[in-house]
Amino acid sequence: MTTGDAIKNNFSKWWITIQISWVKHTAYRLNFFLQIIGPALVFFFVKYNLWSAIYGADDSLVIKGFNFEGMINYHIWAFVVGLVAQGHGSWNLAEDIRLGRISSYLIYPFNFWEFHTASWLSFQTIQMFIAAITLGVIAFFDLLQFPGWNFFLIGVAYTLFISLFWFALQYLTGVMAFWLEETWILRVMLSVVSYFLSGAIIPLDLYPDWLVNILNYTPFPYLVYYPIKIFSGETSSLGLGLIIISIWTVVIALINHLVWKKGIKLYTAAGM
Amino acid sequence: MMEKVGHYWDVYKKFVSTSVSVETSFRTSFILLIFMDLFFFFSSVGSVSFIYDHVANIGPWQKDQLLFFLTFMLMIDNLHMMIFSQSFWEFSFNIKSGQLDYVILKPMNTIFSVFFRHFRASSLFNTPLFLGFLIHYGIKVNLSLFDWLMMPLFLILSLVLLILIEFILSTSMFWLTDGIGINFLRMQMQQLARWPNFIYQGFIRKVLTVLLPVLLIGSGPVHFLLDKNQWQLLATMVLVIFVLVIILNWIWKVGLRNYDSASS
Repeated sequence: MTTGDAIKNNFSKWWITIQISWVKHTAYRLNFFLQIIGPALVFFFVKYNLWSAIYGADDSLVIKGFNFEGMINYHIWAFVVGLVAQGHGSWNLAEDIRLGRISSYLIYPFNFWEFHTASWLSFQTIQMFIAAITLGVIAFFDLLQFPGWNFFLIGVAYTLFISLFWFALQYLTGVMAFWLEETWILRVMLSVVSYFLSGAIIPLDLYPDWLVNILNYTPFPYLVYYPIKIFSGETSSLGLGLIIISIWTVVIALINHLVWKKGIKLYTAAGM
Repeated sequence: MMEKVGHYWDVYKKFVSTSVSVETSFRTSFILLIFMDLFFFFSSVGSVSFIYDHVANIGPWQKDQLLFFLTFMLMIDNLHMMIFSQSFWEFSFNIKSGQLDYVILKPMNTIFSVFFRHFRASSLFNTPLFLGFLIHYGIKVNLSLFDWLMMPLFLILSLVLLILIEFILSTSMFWLTDGIGINFLRMQMQQLARWPNFIYQGFIRKVLTVLLPVLLIGSGPVHFLLDKNQWQLLATMVLVIFVLVIILNWIWKVGLRNYDSASS
């Protein structure tokens, strides 16, 4: 087999896995809506109502540079960033390990990580589609301040890059199933901490200065707060964000590799 | 009657002891659960505190009043996590796998054997801390002796209302191939209830007070504790509890009749 044939063959495996994942993700549409889209929608709905109550009827109120419109815009972009970057849960990953289903990946000519990365890519396309529709609806009702296509496209690219970081992190929590009975706890912990520290609940401008100074040394602000800044037309943090997220993604990918190598030695193929 | 209560109490003690044995055999998960609850608690309280650094009021409430409401709701969350949460997830799995057969065949009330089966001891570790915060903010909003005496009753009433709504929602799993999404719906309802009723406006507030009465869970008792003239929501809450008990008994029977064991 030539190198070209090998690449073509491998590509077809990825493509078919992506297609199968599409079918899997959308097979139980109600569950998909309630698990993935519902929480993001409710989160946005609560924040919209909360800020409406805070600003009340006072059009002149400005909180740390945010008037009501600016605050709602911030949360619309937070909704989009959350949907595209953080949606994938890697639920199946831990289950595959715990229930002994990874035995097949050890035999098939398609690795465990390849299968789950292809699944993630498939999931991302669905999320992008949903985010596009959501943005279309919001734009149709003229609720969105749109600074320009260049910022939008940079924002989308950056958010997709963050989703790679999230995937690496979720993958790590998944492979921890070699040691842990329940990995969902780690996933929930990660999401609770990152929601709070990334500016997904309230803009980091409202946090105490000492806390923001500390957070700037962590990846958290670059996951939600700075992407929103980009979508809002401010790209000064782009370079630093890319560097920090790249470093963290590479480090986590290396840890994933090591954890997998160590974990597979413990694997007992439950149910075989 | 007392004999029956005693019997159920004995069974519940067994449920608790087996749950504790299972949970403590996975020590890392056990500890992580404690930290997960702590992160959630402090991030919720922190978010509200940071907002109040920049505004004097949210709706009619100042910082201490809203934090009292929030700690009240987080206390309900803690009790819910401890006593019921796990059973909802097991319920959806048991319906899907057909293992519910073994649960409903037991000579007990089926609602009891389904929803009281799993106890999460890790949440118990955080209870004193969460209670401490509730008492702290209770003192800050100047609760009277009467209020403190009523507090345990109100906590129980709020928990009862929350679980009744969730039990009723969960019966929809009988009609679904995979009911796990309903558990996410439950969690979103909890998120809606975690804020006082006045942040929602107009039609939405009416829906969330009457049709899907999640706003009564916290707003009913806390509004009354802060202002005795606001007893209407609390009275509605008690009434709604009675109505929901009747609805649950009916819909649960219909759901059970519809249950088609996956394993048989």
